[in-house]
Amino acid sequence: MRKKSKKNNNINQTSFYFEDFLETNKKNKIFKKSSNFQDRIYLLFFFFFSLILIFSIKITHIALIKKDTFNLEKQNTQFSLLRRDIVDRNGILISRNINTYHAAVDPKLIRDKKNFLIKLRVNFPELPINEIKKNLKKNKYFRIKKRIDEVEKDRLWALGEKAIKFEPFQARMYTHGDLFSHVIGQVDYDNYGISGVEKYFDKELKDKNLKDKPLKLTLDSNIQYIINKELNSAIETFQATGGGALLINVNTGDILSLVSLPNFNINHRATISDKKYINKISKGVYELGSIFKTFTIALAIEHRLVNRNTVVKNIPKKIKCSIHEITDMKEHPKNLTVEEILVRSSNVGSAVLAKKIGEEKYKSFIKKTKLTENPEIELEEVGVPHQLKWNRCKLETISYGHGITTTPLQATALYAAMVNGGRLIVPSLIKNRKIEKKDKIISSSTSEELRGILRKVVNSKIGTASLADQDGYFVGGKTGTAESYGNKKNRINSFISIFPTYKPDYSLFIMLENPQINKNLIYNYRGVKTKAPYNTSGWNSVYVAGKIIEKIGPILAINSKEFTDQYVVEKFN
Amino acid sequence: MFKPKFIISAFTIIIFLITTPLLKNETRVLEKKILNLNLKILSKKQNLNEAQLDYHYITSPTLIEKKLSVIGFNNYQPIEYSKIFFSITDLTKIQNKISNLDNLNEKKIEKK
Repeated sequence: MRKKSKKNNNINQTSFYFEDFLETNKKNKIFKKSSNFQDRIYLLFFFFFSLILIFSIKITHIALIKKDTFNLEKQNTQFSLLRRDIVDRNGILISRNINTYHAAVDPKLIRDKKNFLIKLRVNFPELPINEIKKNLKKNKYFRIKKRIDEVEKDRLWALGEKAIKFEPFQARMYTHGDLFSHVIGQVDYDNYGISGVEKYFDKELKDKNLKDKPLKLTLDSNIQYIINKELNSAIETFQATGGGALLINVNTGDILSLVSLPNFNINHRATISDKKYINKISKGVYELGSIFKTFTIALAIEHRLVNRNTVVKNIPKKIKCSIHEITDMKEHPKNLTVEEILVRSSNVGSAVLAKKIGEEKYKSFIKKTKLTENPEIELEEVGVPHQLKWNRCKLETISYGHGITTTPLQATALYAAMVNGGRLIVPSLIKNRKIEKKDKIISSSTSEELRGILRKVVNSKIGTASLADQDGYFVGGKTGTAESYGNKKNRINSFISIFPTYKPDYSLFIMLENPQINKNLIYNYRGVKTKAPYNTSGWNSVYVAGKIIEKIGPILAINSKEFTDQYVVEKFN
Repeated sequence: MFKPKFIISAFTIIIFLITTPLLKNETRVLEKKILNLNLKILSKKQNLNEAQLDYHYITSPTLIEKKLSVIGFNNYQPIEYSKIFFSITDLTKIQNKISNLDNLNEKKIEKK
């Protein structure tokens, strides 16, 4: 603009003196002045505009980006629990994290150490004062009490000592103490799972996206309590060194109860190295004895070699095989039906049947059922069965459960498959999981026939498990009395039951380690009061199973339509 | 010189300049309130969590049985299968049947 006006001046200028009087120059001067004024306005406007822009950007920045001023998420995470809850199948709480504190002392902040110690001694006589005194002398930060609750925290705070510091800490609490010790496991001080379900599902339990959803297990607290109580009482009655119990749903594989005794309180942290505290159901590896006869009979029926009524003639009193001699505990008739072989629990009869089946078929059966492989379960504590060596006589001894080891968990799961129509199941502790359909190992007809035989073991006069015959529950099963593998002094008395036999829903495994005859115990045996003649599972494990089924039966059957129809409505019709 | 457009825009800016801090302040107050409420909710949640834990501990079978033993019952009593009812209607149906049978018996006795 200026350049332009200068240019104009030069054109219009006639003389130097009259320049200012020229109209055009006047106009130009006014224009020049107004142009200056406008420029200033623009400058001012630009200045204010920039100022507003800067403020707006700052406001937007504070509003949108700088969230920390009122960060609700931060507050939430401060209070949120580090691990999810674990509940049973009915939603009953098994474990939960709670906010607690560790009380610590910073000696540098104490004005009068003597006064401080007096205060502690008066208000907290349970604290180790001498130890605290020593630590105060060292002048280093130390903890005086771990895992204190709000009440204790307030009591300590009320001492008015700024040297006492409270470190927030999350503790894992187990509402049932020792009831689920072998299944749930424990966590360390940093909330990492170190055993049981806590370890197996460590990642899932810490998943922040699922923190409001508890981990639902298939276990039932009430049933677990009843079984635990009865087993404890049996250990006392029969002076056993330990015991185990497992209750599973034969169709789904849901584990309703898993008890291994002795157990321990998981609310207290302690290093346990004694082998007697292992999970006997999933980690314990045993020769389960006569329970295996069921599998031998099932195989013989499945391969159409026999049926339950086939008479096996001329069964010898003993079979010599290499250095082994296979005999029966009692003397049985020479000719036995297949059903009687199982009902009377004849070792020789089973060995005869196994020979008919043949080694190859038996081998293939064991391979299919994975009996000698690691058990599948959501626990870290699993046992490894001994590898089978198919040497001479192996077939005969395996037929009645000797020379083969497995975990009670695998044996019960296979038993479940034997009675559920023949389909293999995978035992599980997780509720609402996807259940995979497994292979069939025997046909439905074989399974049905087997159920009939197993019922006879319990309700016939010659059966070995009469003490488990609870009215209304149609219990069937098989006993097993054996020595522990590698330690012949160790005796294992076990019993696997199924109920109700007409359409089994549950399988209960009971095991007692080294039980003794209780001379003071009077049994009600088929209507006759008697004392135990032998130390066999029929007189201890079966007795315990009967007592357990009597108590858990109503809880299990309460939602069973079949049961209600058959026993409740029909009774009054 | 002062064009209406300029005046309007300046006026708008001034209004925004005044309202922005006002709104911001109001938001701050609200956020503080939300924060306090949230803290209250969280502490209540924590209390509820602990109360639930206590409830499940107190109602655990072990403790219930201990209390039962104090009252005088030594054991849980197993329920007889005839006393298990699928629903309340089943129970009332059976109760009606029993009372009808009782009435019939009474009538028979009266006739005799």
